[in-house]
Amino acid sequence: MSTTSTASASGARGVARRGGSAPDTGTTPRRRRIRWQPAWLFMAPSLTIIAVFIAYPIVESFRYSLYDWRVGADSQEWLGLGNYTELFGDERFWNALRVTVIFAVASVALQLLLGYAAAAALQRDGWFNRVVRSAFFFPTVVALAVIGLVWRFLLDPQIGLVSGLIERFGGDPVQWLQDPALALPTVIFVSVWKNVGFTMIILLAALKGVPAQLYEAARLDGASGWRLTRHVTLPSIRPALLFATMIMTINSLQVFDLVYVMTNGGPLFATDTLVTMMFREGFENFRIGYASAIAWVLFALILLLSALQLKLFRYRDVD
Amino acid sequence: MRATRAALLAIGTAAAVTLAACGGSDDDGGSGEAAGPVALTLWTGFTGGDRAAYEELIATFNETHDDIQVTMEVQPWDTIAQTLPSAWGTGQGPDLATPNFDPNVIGRYLETDSLLALDAVGDGEDQINVDQLAPAAVEAFTVDGELYAVPANVATLQLYYNKALFAAAGVDAPPATVDDFRAVAQQLTGDGVYGLSLAERETIQMWPILQWLDGGDIVGDDNCSVLDSPENIESLTTWAQLVQDGVAPVGLTGAESDALFSAGQAAMQLNGPWAAPGYTDAGIDLGVAPVPTGVDGDVTLASTVPLAVSANTDHPEEAQEFLAWWTGVDAQKQFALASGFPPVRTDLADDPELAANDVVSAFAAALPSGRLYLQGVPNATEVDAEGYVPLIGEITRGEDVAGAAAAATERIDAITGCQS
Repeated sequence: MSTTSTASASGARGVARRGGSAPDTGTTPRRRRIRWQPAWLFMAPSLTIIAVFIAYPIVESFRYSLYDWRVGADSQEWLGLGNYTELFGDERFWNALRVTVIFAVASVALQLLLGYAAAAALQRDGWFNRVVRSAFFFPTVVALAVIGLVWRFLLDPQIGLVSGLIERFGGDPVQWLQDPALALPTVIFVSVWKNVGFTMIILLAALKGVPAQLYEAARLDGASGWRLTRHVTLPSIRPALLFATMIMTINSLQVFDLVYVMTNGGPLFATDTLVTMMFREGFENFRIGYASAIAWVLFALILLLSALQLKLFRYRDVD
Repeated sequence: MRATRAALLAIGTAAAVTLAACGGSDDDGGSGEAAGPVALTLWTGFTGGDRAAYEELIATFNETHDDIQVTMEVQPWDTIAQTLPSAWGTGQGPDLATPNFDPNVIGRYLETDSLLALDAVGDGEDQINVDQLAPAAVEAFTVDGELYAVPANVATLQLYYNKALFAAAGVDAPPATVDDFRAVAQQLTGDGVYGLSLAERETIQMWPILQWLDGGDIVGDDNCSVLDSPENIESLTTWAQLVQDGVAPVGLTGAESDALFSAGQAAMQLNGPWAAPGYTDAGIDLGVAPVPTGVDGDVTLASTVPLAVSANTDHPEEAQEFLAWWTGVDAQKQFALASGFPPVRTDLADDPELAANDVVSAFAAALPSGRLYLQGVPNATEVDAEGYVPLIGEITRGEDVAGAAAAATERIDAITGCQS
């Protein structure tokens, strides 16, 4: 009780102060401190973890990116922006950026489209729909590395199940992961297959939240089919769409495990994303500074895209 | 106010629990060290079929040494590559480790002074007998006159062949020369069978052997790429053409290449001793033959895994005693018989028990002609990942060999710092 009343009182005071009335000095600072302390204490464990494991490494990695950093060396060679200049002149970097963007755009678009289609088709709560929904959702809860291994085995051109089936029907085995032209589409397919259940569940929840009266009213106005979707369903589930799009974009820009397990960036760098390149430079070639520079470029890219997406969706909200 | 007190209480309790937990583990570490035998930890990446042989070796060591107990932690090579540099670079981590399967990795760890220079060298009981160890490995692990690792193992690649497929095609013996090799590979190709199972990446390299057989090479003594020389272009063109003709599959990883041979869909493969048990289990009628003779005589690829001691270990003497035992006669004999690997010692060549073992003797016989991949080349790992592997990928997919070799040369020269 006491905490609640203090909070509301101070809230009122804050409003008053913003309004321009003279602040009441004297007792306020001490009272404020009493009110602040428990909040900080409660947050302290999380803040400590964030500071130690997230904030500090982020700042530190930027420092690394300015050196030719070697783990544990007594002195590091200062490069300034040398790593970044090298990066922007490195054809492997531009290739990795291209692959990452293609992967992100294609997998996010397909996941949204298929996730929405599945959610719309499986909206009703029959036992059959429940089973199908679970089947769609199941890959989402399995670890990416496991999925990558299973698919790699299935798609093996010589001993895999898929090429076995193709051969049975008289076709030639396809080099899904060995052909540079097919490897990226194949990895995108597996990623969509895994994640479409996640999108489906989010959109399903959103679809169920659309008030039935809206549809009734629209039908009375003569709307049906696509117009119903376009003018009632989609605007109503926009927050869920925004959430799904942002999460998926951020995740797919950072794609690593699936690629690492399925192709390790190959063949011929056809599936080499920014994170697999970063891993290779950092942990195989031991160029920590260079890898940190890649990490920062990726960070900037994600920040930029997330800001754009937020802006885009908010702008239409105001509209 | 009540909230504050409750919060403080909660945090206080949490802190107490945490401190108690920390204290507990400290106590354990302290008492264990003071009273019992010296405990050494060893990180290795031996996750393959040969793992059991290493584990037996450790068990034997612990049984015969009351004063030293070694715990081996096996983890994938890429996990070691991620954690060991920072662990050792900051004075933590295991006492002993095999940092990578690539012997060239020693240089990386020396940059950060992470390795102990081995000084317990000699022919005494607890000393590392360098004179009896495989010379190529000793050379690879010696920098500026100091030895920084011993070979955890030494292996050579030999020619595995499927006797059933050979018989079906009417070929009665494995190929003896490089020309035979190509001819037999072509002859055995067909009906869903490849003449040769070749891997291009994520493996111990097979392609350098093909080049060496034709007298070619990758990087010269001056650390400059020789891939774009006319002889190398000719050799690479010949082999790439065979791949494009369907004699060998395109773009396989090491595991995929092994699976192909295991499935009886390839007649030949260049591989190390670790592959033999798997092929026998898969029911392959397995033959192991020497790599065909090249234009300059016998040659094959040798590989060795470095076993090194942390510069920051508290027990340098015990750690070196362990290395001395590991490379000793008894341990190497036990290991060779259990794993099929040739012993890391040269003085076991005539041991009757080892000579009677077909696999061991086959791989041991190739040791004198074994060459290490990119030995002594600066930034060798990067040369492999950024230069050689992409080149093989390009030419087996039909890219112009001369153009691809020139591009690879430029890239490799930049990585090695060659002044051409």
